[in-house]
Amino acid sequence: MTNITERDVIDLCGLVGKILLENGAETARVENTVEYIGQAAQFPVSCHATMTAVFVDSKTNPNTHFVKVRVGDFNLQKVDDINTLSRQFTAHEIDYAQLKTGIAAIDRKVIDFNWLEKIIGAGLVSVAPMLLFKATWTDLAWALFVGILGYLGTQLATHKITTPYVSVALGGFIISLCATLLQLSGWATSADNIIISALMPLVPGVALTNSLRELIGKHTISGLVRAADAIMVAGSIGAGVIVGSVLAQILMGGAS
Amino acid sequence: MKLLAGFLFSFLSTVGFGVITNVPRRTLLPAGLTGAVAWIIYLVVAQATHNLILPNLLAALAIGLLANGAAILVRAPVNLLYIPCLVSLVPGAIIYLSLKDFTLGFDASAQQNLFKTLTIAMALAVGFVLAEAIFKPLRPILKSWCQQK
Repeated sequence: MTNITERDVIDLCGLVGKILLENGAETARVENTVEYIGQAAQFPVSCHATMTAVFVDSKTNPNTHFVKVRVGDFNLQKVDDINTLSRQFTAHEIDYAQLKTGIAAIDRKVIDFNWLEKIIGAGLVSVAPMLLFKATWTDLAWALFVGILGYLGTQLATHKITTPYVSVALGGFIISLCATLLQLSGWATSADNIIISALMPLVPGVALTNSLRELIGKHTISGLVRAADAIMVAGSIGAGVIVGSVLAQILMGGAS
Repeated sequence: MKLLAGFLFSFLSTVGFGVITNVPRRTLLPAGLTGAVAWIIYLVVAQATHNLILPNLLAALAIGLLANGAAILVRAPVNLLYIPCLVSLVPGAIIYLSLKDFTLGFDASAQQNLFKTLTIAMALAVGFVLAEAIFKPLRPILKSWCQQK
């Protein structure tokens, strides 16, 4: 514990905050974790996190470290890994050097379920329990496959296209194109039910609920950022869906 | 029958969302059970009342209490359990319908659905806050009980 500088601790804390925020931790948890680590490293810091940036400020010196964050997809495994590391560090089970290498490894590592598992997961989410006994069973079965297609389209587009919101709009487009074609060709009864059910993995409901939880917890700025983001996502999905169903109707309507 | 199917499908969709959001594997099972129980509570309460807020609030309360308990058992941040459990309750479909209606120019039904979305999200959030408040005094008791075992 002799050769740690304060600058070093603040840098590390900034990195921790960045990883946590990017992978979907709530702001209160980010701030607490960073402050615990600072406390345990004997350099008390205070941390302020919004959805777009993390500030780490030393309590003893006028040093502030500022990290810009681009909030991405949920990757809760990373949040859990960091949490485990910081818990071990505060309990003095590992020392500062181990913490540092551990965090750098988490930052670089791509932790993921494999594609097959993710596809099955997306398919399962696409059968919404909300629609059981409201939609027909065949429609729900179609929704499983359409939902997988939409999810795959969104994920692939996220890696290729950097413009925000385009990938979710593409997902909505694929889903409604498939669903409307299925209905018009007579294989499915209700395109609307398939669309709603298959959109479940894409739709920002969880983000909206989290934003209200943050607003209630008085993290006003990040709550508002999350809410605006959720509305933009829902809007682009809606636009994609409409374009898709219009296109499908032109395709099929031109023939008949 | 309805409840059984609801239990099964909400369990599956909670686990599925857990896989998409990459939760650690040890939280998948408790999250799935919590989500399924909350969905049953939602179904039962929704049958008994026409109120929009009450079923969501009680379901969120159940998630909040069960997830906090499970988080202590599997030693994970409680948010990792909240996020997958929420997926079947959350007003995602309604916010999409609302913004679709805005795009098509049906302002009246768009506004109605937007308010519904906000009401449901608010009910869920308040349920969580209530659960946290109830759970706070219970946490140290449960923690020490867990360490004894």
